[in-house]
Amino acid sequence: MILEQLAGNLLQGVVLGTVYGMATMGLSLIFGVLKVVNVGHGAFIMVGAFTSFAVFEYLGLSPVFAIPVAFGIGMALGMIFYYSSIRRLLKGPELASLLATFSFGVILEEGIKFLFTSDFRGFNWDLGKIDMGFTVLPYAKVAACLGSVAIAVLLYLWFNKTRAGMAMRSVVEDGVGARVCGVNVDWMYALSFSLGIGLTVASGVLLTMFVSVGIHPYMGGEYTLKAFVVAVLGGLASPYGAFFGGLVFGLLENGSYTLFAQIPGLEPFAMTRFFSFLILLLILLLRPTGLLKAK
Amino acid sequence: MKGASRYLPSIPVLLAYAALFGFGLLNPGKWQLVAQLAFYCALGQAFNLFMGMTGYVDFGYVAFLGIGTYGMAISISGLADKGLGLGVIGIGLILSVVFAVLLALAVGAVALRLRGAYFAIATIGVNEGFRYLIEGARIWNGSEGIIFSSHLRELVGREAAMSLSTFWADVMVFGVAVIATVLTIGYMRSKIGYALAALRMDEDAAKVMGINVTRFKIIAFITSAALAGLLGATAWAVKLTYVYPADVFGIHYTVEAIIIVLLGGAGTLLGPIVGGLIYGVSKYYLAVYLPGFQLLVFAPVIVAVIVLFPEGTVGMIKRKLLGTALEKYIL
Repeated sequence: MILEQLAGNLLQGVVLGTVYGMATMGLSLIFGVLKVVNVGHGAFIMVGAFTSFAVFEYLGLSPVFAIPVAFGIGMALGMIFYYSSIRRLLKGPELASLLATFSFGVILEEGIKFLFTSDFRGFNWDLGKIDMGFTVLPYAKVAACLGSVAIAVLLYLWFNKTRAGMAMRSVVEDGVGARVCGVNVDWMYALSFSLGIGLTVASGVLLTMFVSVGIHPYMGGEYTLKAFVVAVLGGLASPYGAFFGGLVFGLLENGSYTLFAQIPGLEPFAMTRFFSFLILLLILLLRPTGLLKAK
Repeated sequence: MKGASRYLPSIPVLLAYAALFGFGLLNPGKWQLVAQLAFYCALGQAFNLFMGMTGYVDFGYVAFLGIGTYGMAISISGLADKGLGLGVIGIGLILSVVFAVLLALAVGAVALRLRGAYFAIATIGVNEGFRYLIEGARIWNGSEGIIFSSHLRELVGREAAMSLSTFWADVMVFGVAVIATVLTIGYMRSKIGYALAALRMDEDAAKVMGINVTRFKIIAFITSAALAGLLGATAWAVKLTYVYPADVFGIHYTVEAIIIVLLGGAGTLLGPIVGGLIYGVSKYYLAVYLPGFQLLVFAPVIVAVIVLFPEGTVGMIKRKLLGTALEKYIL
């Protein structure tokens, strides 16, 4: 019985974990290229969730269409934030960019609250479900999982097959060298920042498949924390590491939920969240370079 | 600078608090505003002691206020029938500091080994993580919180409980503010302050010069946490006589602390008071015109401050006053 439950939860964990991975790639991309930690990460995911909600409820379109819309909104927000402030803060102390990205998060949260009020919202994209006996998997979640894989593959192709993608990788390897070779480093920074934000906002659309009634302006805080766990698991600076970290985290989260639920007197939901924070501290303590890389 | 003149910059700070306190006593109708302002100034000072002096941001700072609130709540609700009278408040204050210091040691043991961005990542979940531990493991009544107004009445009587919540809790906040002022100037004018200034400029260079940076970071971190614990115990626990985990671990208090310190000037002595007054007064009036959306106004202000004048109000004043007779009063 418990094994069946565990197997079911772990399968759900793989599906959710893939989306977690995609939701963290933007964070890792921005850190990898600009060495800026986007502390307001969760708020951008929240913007994606609201985009998905608005497209579904007001335009009556499926969330598939919300992905490019969200990506566009994210790119635009990224450009605005980069040129208005991040660009001027890159050479300053780390404190400055941390506080700036944190403030972006607050601006978005309060802005969305202003537009949509702080009510909880949600929508249900009903495509039917697969019943596997030990667990039930809605097609919408499967679609989110496949969408995440597709976006990750596209990002991989972009990095390896296009000129801009290769230029961006060269900036990561050696900023000065890239400049000498004629790469417009400032533009690469702007592009990576807005690409990272675009990916993050788009991932918010995919995540709404998992939170049927949990869309509200302050939902992001939870995802900021989860994204940091995922990013640190994967080594913080690598988008593909993030993808792998997402899978590991999805498994850990759903697996630990099953176990906490067996212990009487515990609230498994809250304990799972505490557990993810504990994982973050443990990894930072033991393997700050991530699970994949050797010390 | 030698002798007592080193401590002159504390005069404007203490004068500001005295003026605020006097204004509150003379205008009982405005006492709530005065109490709120004192809380913001003290919160800024407590936060500044770590963020301003080290250049590290602790995004989970509110956890220390939260656990301090619990320290006071536990002693009042647990010791109300032991006949200790006001001594219980004293025990509560001690317990809140002990709790805050213990949490700071636990968090610091991991986070303070890390540099810059990694430090911020380690701390960003502390408040949420701790809240979920309390709720998840049902510690201290879990998500139901502790309501101890009846215990407080049992302890000191109805009248005294009332005046504790409406007046003396705020007076204690002023007390915490004075302690924070003394500690801040004491640190700034001692080896601790110089070591932290070196660390803030260039951590590697400071290390090479033989400064035990970790030790000084821990000192600042723990002191800042202990002050936060006291603030939670006074401004939240004694004043409100209840505690809910969802309230006392809310991240927006960390946001407010950041705004206050940046507006006033990070790493200065007078900054948090100036920042606290600007923030408190504008929040008070914004609540009239834009109820519930103060942060929508303040968040862009933080970005503007970081980009345009990172030294804050007091930093600019300090530069203007260089070479004048007032110079030695501003820090």
